[in-house]
Amino acid sequence: MIKKYIPFVGEESINELFILAEKVKNLRILHVNSTYKGGGVAEILSRIVPLMRELEIKADWKVIKGDEKFFNFTKKLHNLLHLSFSIPIESEEIVHYLKIIYENMNKINTDNYDVIFIHDPQPIGLVIKKQPGQKWIWRCHIDTSAPNPQAWDFLENFINAYDACIFHMPEFVYRGIKIPTYIVPPSIDPLHPKNVQLSKEETKNILAKFGIDPEKPVITQVSRFDRLKDPFGVISAYKLVKKKYDSQLILVGSFASDDPEGENVYKELLNLTADEKDIFILNLPPDSHKEINAFQRGSTVVVQKSIKEGFGLVVSEAMWKEKPVVGSNIGGIKRQIVHGITGYLVNSIEGTAMRIKQLLANKEFIKTMGLYGKERVRNRFLIIRHLRDYLILIHKILTNPTKMTSA
Amino acid sequence: MSKPFIFKAEFWVPKSTGIKVLSLKDFIETLKWIDKFSIFYHMYVNIFNYHNLPTFYNNSFSYWLYKNNYLALAEKISIVDPIEYFDLEELRISLIKILEENYDKHLEGNIIEPFFFITVDREIIEYKNPADNLEEFIKKFKKSSINSVFYHLVTSRIENKTLINDYSSWLLSIGEAKKAELINKLDIYSMNLYEIKKEITKILECKE
Repeated sequence: MIKKYIPFVGEESINELFILAEKVKNLRILHVNSTYKGGGVAEILSRIVPLMRELEIKADWKVIKGDEKFFNFTKKLHNLLHLSFSIPIESEEIVHYLKIIYENMNKINTDNYDVIFIHDPQPIGLVIKKQPGQKWIWRCHIDTSAPNPQAWDFLENFINAYDACIFHMPEFVYRGIKIPTYIVPPSIDPLHPKNVQLSKEETKNILAKFGIDPEKPVITQVSRFDRLKDPFGVISAYKLVKKKYDSQLILVGSFASDDPEGENVYKELLNLTADEKDIFILNLPPDSHKEINAFQRGSTVVVQKSIKEGFGLVVSEAMWKEKPVVGSNIGGIKRQIVHGITGYLVNSIEGTAMRIKQLLANKEFIKTMGLYGKERVRNRFLIIRHLRDYLILIHKILTNPTKMTSA
Repeated sequence: MSKPFIFKAEFWVPKSTGIKVLSLKDFIETLKWIDKFSIFYHMYVNIFNYHNLPTFYNNSFSYWLYKNNYLALAEKISIVDPIEYFDLEELRISLIKILEENYDKHLEGNIIEPFFFITVDREIIEYKNPADNLEEFIKKFKKSSINSVFYHLVTSRIENKTLINDYSSWLLSIGEAKKAELINKLDIYSMNLYEIKKEITKILECKE
């Protein structure tokens, strides 16, 4: 499978990966997260683990099990870390969390591994089981730049028992961490059905199936139906654009059956745009990878106007398809878009509209920014770079003495 | 008889130093003592990270100064070519000198974004089968990556404390002074590494 990446990163990069892997060959590595399906973490692990095995690393992947009460608490924790709500954590919730962690400690055998990656807050407590000689790494996939302090304190109880931790961006590293802290951005997989090449004909056919005119400019935002993705702001920006440019807007995403807020946002958007024939609000099943791929490829400009974003890899997905992206000047979006080169970073509805108009008026900009965007992703946000970072990090943690990173 | 040339490549994983600054004064003060590999990351690794894009500035110090409206300072730092240095401490001194000479406390304004000092863990790998002669060198050079090109042109000089890059040094040792000189003159700070690789291939294959 690994050789299939040669067309994207070059044979020399793959050969270097094999040389690097020699340094960690035969190590037993375990990844633990909270789900095999759904979400970016599961998506990346489903690729990284087989790739590690191909490099002769004994990699495994396990998930923790918990009841509804456990996952309600970890969901609350996630929101407190990400959005800094001021809802207190109850001691009873902590007791239940520890009970479930204890049950998982008996079910998940971590003793036979040299390096254990724990992904996100849900399984963080498993580190209690750490054995002498093992290296435990906590991989944080969420924005913890301004967390609820009580939620962070809860995590901090466990974090410093690890040998290292990893965040997407330096901004996400909050206080009190005394272990080596690496910065490894997430990545996209060019072989994922969301990102594989589609012919122009296939793309046009998919757009047409949804009533979208492939010959007229298309502005797209791909995101969950969530107020934090600011779909209403995107519509306002589009209306400013539409005054001068006959174009179409696609807001495409999905909401889970257990997400009443997502359903409400979706319905509000439908009501708001009921009379707009050029606005398409599309709720698709979560596995509509080919359709999402086609919407991105069929777009003239891609927008990501989030108010808060973990990293926002959908930006890289669009850039990989040579699309200029107009995105909010926040979080991971500003790490992916190079302002004025691969797209534009914006701070308001008006700014979003102005930049979309600028792009629609200048086809050359679209082409050049698209090419630079693809190059940026090729070098910085593909899975091979992600895998390479992990190999180096594992090697460094096993060979370097642990030291504090903060002054 | 010259030594065979061993092709290497360098990779980095960024690490947080845990230090962020919120003013120009703190930025300058921190630069005085921060881990030298933080300077390496912000001045050198950034060349690599953005070599293929026509960015405003190719080091993150200048870009941060620019974003916070220290426009003249951003330009003054951007012209410092790190390739002209082989000692990170010397580079640190030059940067601080420019910043202090041009620092005016009246310049201190509202910082729009803090600066996060990052450092790196470096990993250097060796390719198999060294090159014993020019013909083998050209063949293996063509198969090397831009990480390898960057190591031999840029960071090997810091390791060896010399202004002559690895390729040129070896070419000199086999009597290829002209090729060595031409390669050493390439503007790595401003050029795309893929273009540099093509330029070096042309120089190596030139029969003159």
